[in-house]
Amino acid sequence: MSSRMNLPLLATSAVGSYPKPAYLLEARRKALRQQISKQELTALEQRATREWIQIQEDIGLDLLVDGEQYRGDMVAYFADEMEGFAIAGLVRSYGNRYYPKPVVVGPVGRRHPVTVEWFKFAQSLTKRPVKGMLTGPYTIAEWSFNEHYPTRRELVLELARAVGEEARDLEKAGARYIQIDEPAIHTRPDEDFELALEAMEIVTDGLSAYTVSHICYGDVPRIYPRVLKLAVDQLDLALKNEHFALLETFKQARFTKDIGVGVVDAHSHRVESVEEVAEGIRKTLQVIPAEQIMVSPDCGLKTRAIDETVGKLRAMVDGAKVVRNELTGTREPTRA
Amino acid sequence: MITTVIGNYPKIPDLPAPGKWRSTVERFQKGQIDETQLQHVEDEVTAEVINEQVQMGIDVITDGQIRWEDAQTHFARRLSGFSINGLQRYFDTNIYFREPVAEHAVAWTGPITVSEFTFAREHSSKPVKPVVTGPFTLAALSRNVHYPTLKEFAIALGRALNRELKALEAAGAEVIQIDEPAICQRKQDFDIFAEASRVLTDGVKAKKILCTYFGDIGGLYPQILDLPFDVIGLDFVAGYRNWDVVAAAPFTRELQAGVLDARNTRVESVDELVRAVRRLTAFVSPGRLMISPSAGLEFLPRSVARRKLAALVEGTKVANQDLKGART
Ligand SMILES: [Zn+2]
Repeated sequence: MSSRMNLPLLATSAVGSYPKPAYLLEARRKALRQQISKQELTALEQRATREWIQIQEDIGLDLLVDGEQYRGDMVAYFADEMEGFAIAGLVRSYGNRYYPKPVVVGPVGRRHPVTVEWFKFAQSLTKRPVKGMLTGPYTIAEWSFNEHYPTRRELVLELARAVGEEARDLEKAGARYIQIDEPAIHTRPDEDFELALEAMEIVTDGLSAYTVSHICYGDVPRIYPRVLKLAVDQLDLALKNEHFALLETFKQARFTKDIGVGVVDAHSHRVESVEEVAEGIRKTLQVIPAEQIMVSPDCGLKTRAIDETVGKLRAMVDGAKVVRNELTGTREPTRA
Repeated sequence: MITTVIGNYPKIPDLPAPGKWRSTVERFQKGQIDETQLQHVEDEVTAEVINEQVQMGIDVITDGQIRWEDAQTHFARRLSGFSINGLQRYFDTNIYFREPVAEHAVAWTGPITVSEFTFAREHSSKPVKPVVTGPFTLAALSRNVHYPTLKEFAIALGRALNRELKALEAAGAEVIQIDEPAICQRKQDFDIFAEASRVLTDGVKAKKILCTYFGDIGGLYPQILDLPFDVIGLDFVAGYRNWDVVAAAPFTRELQAGVLDARNTRVESVDELVRAVRRLTAFVSPGRLMISPSAGLEFLPRSVARRKLAALVEGTKVANQDLKGART
């Protein structure tokens, strides 16, 4: 457990993924057909990462992400790199979007650090802090098929140990902010919620980094206020897409953690206005004190177009700036 | 004792075979082909999926819902009164659907699934079961900004979809399945569900299957048997509590029993199926029993879905022999 260190009031960050530029999508297709080498693909992933770091600096985000240009799906990426998984095949997510769904076929565990090299690369490109980004054990288990473990509990706890090792390796590599995404945490709110809490205890045990968990798309009111027991410093939640309805829930019991408040919709093409973002933050301030608030998009932005993503990030940063100025009564110099 | 499926089926083959449907939709979205060309490919894939079920030996098939983007918008887009909003998660799955929004009074303006049904029937040597998303589930998964209450919304949808059932019946459908997974999650609204079901089925003489999945009907049994459905579909995997639930009172309807896990790749053994059927026949006679997966098979990659169908057919065949042996 840790403080936000020296991030400003209403600091801005992102959930994790950004869209991949056309040259990278093309390269990934070619890599699948083995028309280009792994090294060539990696070079382009690095180029795209560099571009996103630059874009985030230009826009003025406070806490950066690497944009996950080298990841496909957030679960399959870890499954690919870990022991005990195979890819079962493509399963439809929505519309004509498909993802490779992993299947647990043996004991799960880490062969080697999964995200550390990419974290170090991204952090080397900027003086601003970059978040280490992990997928949580409950979500990895829930979004995989399981042909090996007799119970979900055994699988989740084994994964928690592996993700915890990864988190500690990230910290050793210099990560001061680590995000462990659990978008599936409310899948079985009665049956499994305690298990998800127990798993996160294992993941963040002994960390001194500031920890965040991103949760989205599901019945958050159903797990509130129990979710405040999750062993992280901040809960990052999608508020915009439900028109800030969650604030009503947060009025029922004091929000005792930091919140990453989602102020732009990750699944709409429309770019929000600065005033719309500012208004969302002001609404949140009526329920949660500014010291506990960070500002972010609702979810990863990888399904948006690049210009939509840039537009949304800019509206987010500028909207946060407007409210920050209102709070501090000062005019903050623009970074550009 | 016969076999059936719940509804949807994987639209694309396994890698590395190219997904014809997927690339066609992509071309359609880019404006490179028109809707007729898209429909042509959807017809082809539907015929392929029908053929796969028939070949595997399923007794009552569906068209695989290849043309459905999801079970909600397929209807909401074709009824009047709805607009379509952003993505929502579909129950406890990692599947997303676009949220329908009831902005005005909802109404049926013409057949939605009839041409799908007649196409499937022409392409199948086995009986085809059309599937309609039920009014309660459609209401529960939509945003309602028009009706003062969920009850009024669900009943209006019941009235609209009643005309769809009648259109299917007029087209020759002898069995119609109504999917109501939402009732397993929202048991407190059973009265609304019951009322919407009565409006939905009013005057419909076809055999009606009420299909539930993703949970159990604990707390709704046996009163659910009083609703105007001939067959009740239950999920015995995610809704494993149903095993105890149905023990509480005589099962007076036919049963569509979802005993194969539609959401995990592990394929059940013949032995598991036989044991499940023995448990089922303790409270329903084999003649009143259909065996099925626990939900639609689109949660699985195509090759696994096919293996599930094979396991379903083989397991049911052996279970039938097992039952005959037990009687003699
Ligand atoms: Zn998310």
